[in-house]
Amino acid sequence: MAIIEARQLTKEFRKFKSRPGLAGAFRDLFTRRYETVRAVDAIDLTVEPGEVVGYIGPNGAGKSTTIKMLTGILVPTAGHLLVNGCVPHRERERFVRTIGVVFGQRSQLWWDIAVRESFRLLQRIYGVPDAEYRRRLDELAGVLELGDLLDVPVRKLSLGQRMRCELAAALLHGPSLLFLDEPTIGLDVVVKLRIRDFLREINARHGTTILLTTHDLADIEALCPRVVILDRGRILYDGALDAIRRDGQGLEEVVRAIYQGEAVGGGAGAGPGGRRVPELGGGRAAEGGSAVEPEGGRQYGAGGAG
Amino acid sequence: MALRGLEMARYLPLIARFVAQNLKSRLAYPADFWTGLASDLVHQAANLVFILVVFQHAPSLHGWRREEVVFIYGYFLVPFAVFHATAANLWDFADRYVVRGEFDRVLTRPLPSLLQVFLETMELESLLGAVTGVAAMAWAGRALGLDWRLADLAIFPVLVAGGVAIYYGIFIALAAVAFWTDSRTGLIPLLWNLNAYGRYPVDIYSRRLRFVFTWVLPLAFVGFFPAAYFLRRGAWGWYAALTPAVGALVLAFGVAVWSAGVRRYRGAGS
Amino acid sequence: MAAYLEMMRIRFLAMLAYRVNYYSGVVIYVVYIGSYYFIWQAVYAGRAALGGLTAAQMTTYLAVAWMSRAFWFNNLDREISNEIRDGTVAVQFIRPYNYLVAKLAGALGEGLFRLAFFAAPGLAAAALVFPVRFPSDARLWVVFAAATLLAFAVNSLFNVIAGLVAFFTLNNTGILHTKRVLVDLFSGLFLPLGFYPAWAQDAPRWLPFQAISYLPSLVFTGALRGPELWRALAVQAFWIAVLAVAAAWLWRRAGRRLVVQGG
Ligand SMILES: Nc1ncnc2c1ncn2[C@@H]1O[C@H](COP(=O)(O)OP(=O)(O)OP(=O)(O)O)[C@@H](O)[C@H]1O
Ligand SMILES: [Mg+2]
Repeated sequence: MAIIEARQLTKEFRKFKSRPGLAGAFRDLFTRRYETVRAVDAIDLTVEPGEVVGYIGPNGAGKSTTIKMLTGILVPTAGHLLVNGCVPHRERERFVRTIGVVFGQRSQLWWDIAVRESFRLLQRIYGVPDAEYRRRLDELAGVLELGDLLDVPVRKLSLGQRMRCELAAALLHGPSLLFLDEPTIGLDVVVKLRIRDFLREINARHGTTILLTTHDLADIEALCPRVVILDRGRILYDGALDAIRRDGQGLEEVVRAIYQGEAVGGGAGAGPGGRRVPELGGGRAAEGGSAVEPEGGRQYGAGGAG
Repeated sequence: MALRGLEMARYLPLIARFVAQNLKSRLAYPADFWTGLASDLVHQAANLVFILVVFQHAPSLHGWRREEVVFIYGYFLVPFAVFHATAANLWDFADRYVVRGEFDRVLTRPLPSLLQVFLETMELESLLGAVTGVAAMAWAGRALGLDWRLADLAIFPVLVAGGVAIYYGIFIALAAVAFWTDSRTGLIPLLWNLNAYGRYPVDIYSRRLRFVFTWVLPLAFVGFFPAAYFLRRGAWGWYAALTPAVGALVLAFGVAVWSAGVRRYRGAGS
Repeated sequence: MAAYLEMMRIRFLAMLAYRVNYYSGVVIYVVYIGSYYFIWQAVYAGRAALGGLTAAQMTTYLAVAWMSRAFWFNNLDREISNEIRDGTVAVQFIRPYNYLVAKLAGALGEGLFRLAFFAAPGLAAAALVFPVRFPSDARLWVVFAAATLLAFAVNSLFNVIAGLVAFFTLNNTGILHTKRVLVDLFSGLFLPLGFYPAWAQDAPRWLPFQAISYLPSLVFTGALRGPELWRALAVQAFWIAVLAVAAAWLWRRAGRRLVVQGG
């Protein structure tokens, strides 16, 4: 059975549009104009246990929004979603016990207290038995080299140190599914390599399923046999990484071409494992441009990093 | 409701753990801790000064003597201190959790979101207000020659709990408004001082307001009615019997608004 | 100068964005006024005058004191101490303007916003609910306007000083909260200074706080006449001068300390 099963998953945000100038601001006080942004637009996504999937796309594509729905943080506007056999937002407390989440941009740990204390608190929150907790902590601290960091308050850690602790924190309760939103953002090469090794190892050793977003394609190359490329809330490509690589071209160039609206090359559709690639039509140009007029005057993917 | 209570009991060890952790991180900044204590005391002193000064000019407020008004204020301080110490995090909930998106983290943890918000920041030093309050009650009670009964020892915590529940309910609902609006500061800093209405005899207000503070925004149940019971002001004191029920009702209302709000949470635009 | 005006404007616009606060704010100030109005009604209980104010003047005093608070109140203290502590002030040093003046300009923009959209309609709303008496003498309005502007200056400078002191003592919340309670108490916001017992009246009269709320509100009630009006303005001006000097001095010391700490 699939570990993530999303059908027509959609999330819309209503955004307030301010009018320019003093007079405009004054009018905003009484009547507001809103526009609806469809951050995630009817995507279908299936992930099997044990997979490592790279979820990439340009800024504002809807990656974080998808992850927030998959983790039960946001309630989808429409569509069906089953993750680890739960509807995330509906059975939130039971569901989140089975997953681990790391947001690269935002700390999950308590700012003022030592890392070890944070971990202890998490142990209590997730109800991890002592012996199991000690075993996991030993393992995680060993691989992530947390040794000296455990007694430092989180606010005194550097970004790379903190990120290693965040990873450990997300795995203390032994989740079968790990969501990582830009886990390598702002990290130096050495830390990045260590984190990649670590992720590969937990995937191999425990069969942990991983869904990861990143802007660093080297992360993808190192970790993800399968990529899902998203733009303006729609999936452009879902399949094997190898299938989109053209001869003599770096991944970087291929992905840039896809982001810029060129159709995915060659037999991309026939990725290994026979994964379905959504109808690409004439490529991105048809979808993003004015050719497709959104119904109800909605504006899609106003873009930009929120 | 009983089921909820049982569920909460399951969380008790965890709550204790959070409390300890909170104390630890508060004490990491001793200056904040001490000036926090001092500022609470100054605040309470200012309110007492107000009462004392007012009574320089009037022998009674609508038939309430100075000591009685001090007693009511003292009693009010007890539930207020408990509320303030434990729900301090609601104060900037809108900004911190909703606008800046810290609520993401809360939602990824297997605990009720409301419980987590309460536990993540507490200002336990505010409990000192309860000591001030009891001192004021003791002073006023002696001056009035109040007769305490043994049963009062049991009734007191029940009434205080009811008052705290009323505050929780009202301010949880107000905090949850942040899920619907996109405004930064939320309503709570603006409405915090509504509590001023719970600490004076309710009969000084006009009939309409009296109705509002009894049946709509039942602040009179927090301080005044229970205090009137201990002051043996029969007519008003009887209302105190309703305090626990009103508390349960208002709290249930607040939690319902909160749950509806959480479903509307939009996160911060990454 | 244009830069400072721009700062005022930006802040003014920023305030417009807070819609819910704005709507609820008007109601809430009426609620505050109400909470004291009823207590004072009970205190007067038919008596003609107490502490130099009649019952009607007392109502007017409360309404105007709270509504002008909307204008003079600001969070400069917290903003300044936070910006110094978290280092954002360093960015301000490389900008071609004076940090404190820029802060004051921003606060004035905020104050003007609240005056126009909050205090003025709020006072009108309060007058509908409570028996507020507006002065009929046009001259009183002018003096009141001047006094309120001066009150803004006194309070803002005092906030600047509090913010800088909080920075030096490496602590803010407690100190700033204490300061706020003291300002509310000694400025006569909810307790006109005339009500204090005689022995306790002297201290507040020698402190700057009365210049923030007590004096302007008295002007509005008509309790001050002729030369007393001018004396009130002079007291405010005096405190502005003193506080401005103190703020400038502290700011120079804070600047030196920042350099020493390496920003
Ligand atoms: N809370 C929100 N309110 C309004 N709009 C939002 C919100 N969160 C996201 N959006 C909008 O949804 C779209 C997708 O945002 P999202 O954060 O999912 O993108 P992303 O793919 O993670 O981008 P990035 O690579 O920059 O992190 C953007 O247009 C963004 O502006
Ligand atoms: Mg993102």
